Amino acid sequence: MFFTRNKKKNAALNEFDQVVEGNSLSKDAWKRLRKNKAAVVGMVIVIVYSLLAAFAMFLPIYPYDQIILDHQHLRPSLTKTAGDLMMENKLKDLYFKAWRAGTLVVTDAQSKQIETWIADNETNNVWDFCYTEGQKQLAAGTFTFSDADQRTIDRLQEKINTEFLIEVDKMYYTDPDTGKTKNIARMDFEQIKQIYADYLGVDVAVIAQQSDQEIRNQVLNKVKAATPGLSTEEYEANLELELQSMGDKGIATLGKSNMLVSIKTAISRSIERGLKQEIKDGTAKFPVNRTVVVNEKISAAITADLKHTRHYYLGTDYSGRDMLSRIIYGGQVSIAIGLVGTITSVLIGIVLGAIAGYAGGKIDFFLMRLVDIMYGLPYMLLVIIFMAIFGRNIMNLFVALAIVSWLTVARMVRGQVMSLKNSEYVEAARSMGASTWRIIFRHMVPNSLSVIIVYSTLRVPAFIMQESFLSFLGLGVQAPYASWGSLVGDAVNGMTLYPWKLIFPALAMTIFLFAMNFFGDGLRDAFDPQSKNQL
Amino acid sequence: MTKYIVNRLLGMIPTLLIIITLSFFIVRVAPGGPFASERKLPEVVERNIEAKYHLDEPLIQQYGRYMFDILRGDLGPSFKYKDYDVNYYIANSLPKSVVLGSWAMLIALVFGISAGIIAAVRQNTWIDYTSMGIAVIGISIPLFVIAPVLQLIFAMKLKWLPTSGWYTTGEGYATVILPAVSLSFAYFANIARLMRSSMLETLRSDYIRTAKAKGMKNTTIIFKHAMKGAMLPVVSYLGPAFAGIITGSIVVEQIFRVPGLGKFFVQSSFNRDYTLIVGVVIVYSVILIVMNFVVDIIYAQLDPRITYR
Repeated sequence: MFFTRNKKKNAALNEFDQVVEGNSLSKDAWKRLRKNKAAVVGMVIVIVYSLLAAFAMFLPIYPYDQIILDHQHLRPSLTKTAGDLMMENKLKDLYFKAWRAGTLVVTDAQSKQIETWIADNETNNVWDFCYTEGQKQLAAGTFTFSDADQRTIDRLQEKINTEFLIEVDKMYYTDPDTGKTKNIARMDFEQIKQIYADYLGVDVAVIAQQSDQEIRNQVLNKVKAATPGLSTEEYEANLELELQSMGDKGIATLGKSNMLVSIKTAISRSIERGLKQEIKDGTAKFPVNRTVVVNEKISAAITADLKHTRHYYLGTDYSGRDMLSRIIYGGQVSIAIGLVGTITSVLIGIVLGAIAGYAGGKIDFFLMRLVDIMYGLPYMLLVIIFMAIFGRNIMNLFVALAIVSWLTVARMVRGQVMSLKNSEYVEAARSMGASTWRIIFRHMVPNSLSVIIVYSTLRVPAFIMQESFLSFLGLGVQAPYASWGSLVGDAVNGMTLYPWKLIFPALAMTIFLFAMNFFGDGLRDAFDPQSKNQL
Repeated sequence: MTKYIVNRLLGMIPTLLIIITLSFFIVRVAPGGPFASERKLPEVVERNIEAKYHLDEPLIQQYGRYMFDILRGDLGPSFKYKDYDVNYYIANSLPKSVVLGSWAMLIALVFGISAGIIAAVRQNTWIDYTSMGIAVIGISIPLFVIAPVLQLIFAMKLKWLPTSGWYTTGEGYATVILPAVSLSFAYFANIARLMRSSMLETLRSDYIRTAKAKGMKNTTIIFKHAMKGAMLPVVSYLGPAFAGIITGSIVVEQIFRVPGLGKFFVQSSFNRDYTLIVGVVIVYSVILIVMNFVVDIIYAQLDPRITYR
């Protein structure tokens, strides 16, 4: 600071009456980091990505796991709705068939071109050509669809104009005796059973029995998934045990959620009928957002919208899910695994490294031999085995990645602790009676934190790559969840036909990894200027 | 030197023991057991199967038998494929993976070292910037993105190279190029970066200045004097690079449909064919350990400062 500040009374002044400010390592590093343009850009991108991932549920995007089979493989488009694209795909198909049948007349040269495209497997070119040519001829009046084709088109148009999706947000129950209105989701299991029975007009006992059977089946499936390969009797026994451990309360919770789903389906079906009638009468206006009275006791707050007016800015995947939201939610999973995995592995590494470095002797010897041996193992393969045997879910992925990647941190921390062990301040702490744990975790670890932080930032992209690697192979994150790796993995097989499925997730991932690497490099250079340009 | 080699050889034993022990217990701990199936087998059949695979013996005896078999080179029967044993499958597919991996390593080394040297000698010129730019791309883009993109460009759009297959099944030697190049990309990038930084450091050292002062030719200085010292970080990086190429080849074999060991590995982990998984891992580990050993020896040969203790 080159100007005088006299805020602090006891501030140290130099001979020019300027305040001499102490400079901490982190302050110094921050100054150096700010000068590094690439690192700052990287940091900003990383922050943007993390915010997007963290607040994904508040973004105005479609649910990442909503399957709409009509919307399979729609290409990305900024202006066209899903319905337009569906119609476009249908027309492409029809024009192509018309060309095959000879009703769509093109020149010989064009026909030959189409033949070579087909021979080269370039289906997209064929379709695009047929589509533009067909539209041109249709407008010029030189081509008309056959009656059957026209009927297909009309039917599709009808479907696009009328089909809608209903979302039941809340359900209310009005007690006929007291006139009070209550949210059904807040009521208890017995009451809900009664309401559902009333709604269907059957006896409560029947509903109770159905619900019981459903719960049993659910639990049985869970047991079977957890321990495959047992006999029927063993499963029965396990089922009883599991039900007992769930208790009445657990069973009631499960039953309640099942029952709510059934009520929701029943209600939305009845509302659907009403809306269809409205569409026929021409009174329906979408999007619908209102409370519907189902009968004198039950009412529901619903939102409904035409199904095919959706916009897919990044296209859809093989089951009609929105790629944009899948990429964002996939990023959430990938970044979360990168962060949590790094933190876990760093924590394990810190504890073991500090113990080895501080204790020395036999403990150090054995821990370091263990690290050496584990270094020699192909640890990605161990992770794959782990996933293959203990089941493919996100939790196992976390555990598997974390338990094999603490090695470098442990070595680093051990080295730091060993070099700090004989420093004066540790001596001072010891002479004041501080315990070993206190010395390690309050004095030595904080002093080696800068090294650890730098290493961790470089670990995160590596973790994300490993996670994506596993998901790519199909051994990591499972559907309906997504991660960048699984998105790329799903896309590889149809990449000539549907290139957007490969390009967008790959791009999203690459940008993040780039940013993370630049940021990590910048951070390392900032904390340790000596190490410049090293790997 | 001999003592050093012997010591390193002895050091390989615990690693191998741990791998085999781990594999043994992984197969035993795995839920469901090897012969569990949907329908229940008759008691007698089950007992016969157990006797055939020695599953009725006490655990310690099984462990001893397993260890002995593996040291003999017998990786046991496959739990899913009944016709042949694990050895047969591995022996059939390993050579393809080895060829692929060696080509990838060779490409990464040759191009990485040359790019690193050129970038260092012509520091801050366009050559330096382009080669380091490519290297940064190679580090940040995961293999499973590079491979399909290369396939899309060179095989499907430009049609210069075949999309998939392997030369052993009669598709020509050009099938090796794309898998090997995409597999080598990340390691090329790392080697180039390492080579550049260590070369820069070496070129600034005193003995190079002496050589220059003596009036030696630039090429002699670089290739005879600087190279040897500058290679050290690259050599020590070879161990992790081998591990990476082994795991990476799993993905590449998947994408380019190379009938190698990696494809087997993924398939068997989906089939829960534990003996095959474990067999493949043991083979991979042995390759890796041997490679690490070789790298250590080369390092010791190159660096006169290392004491052979």
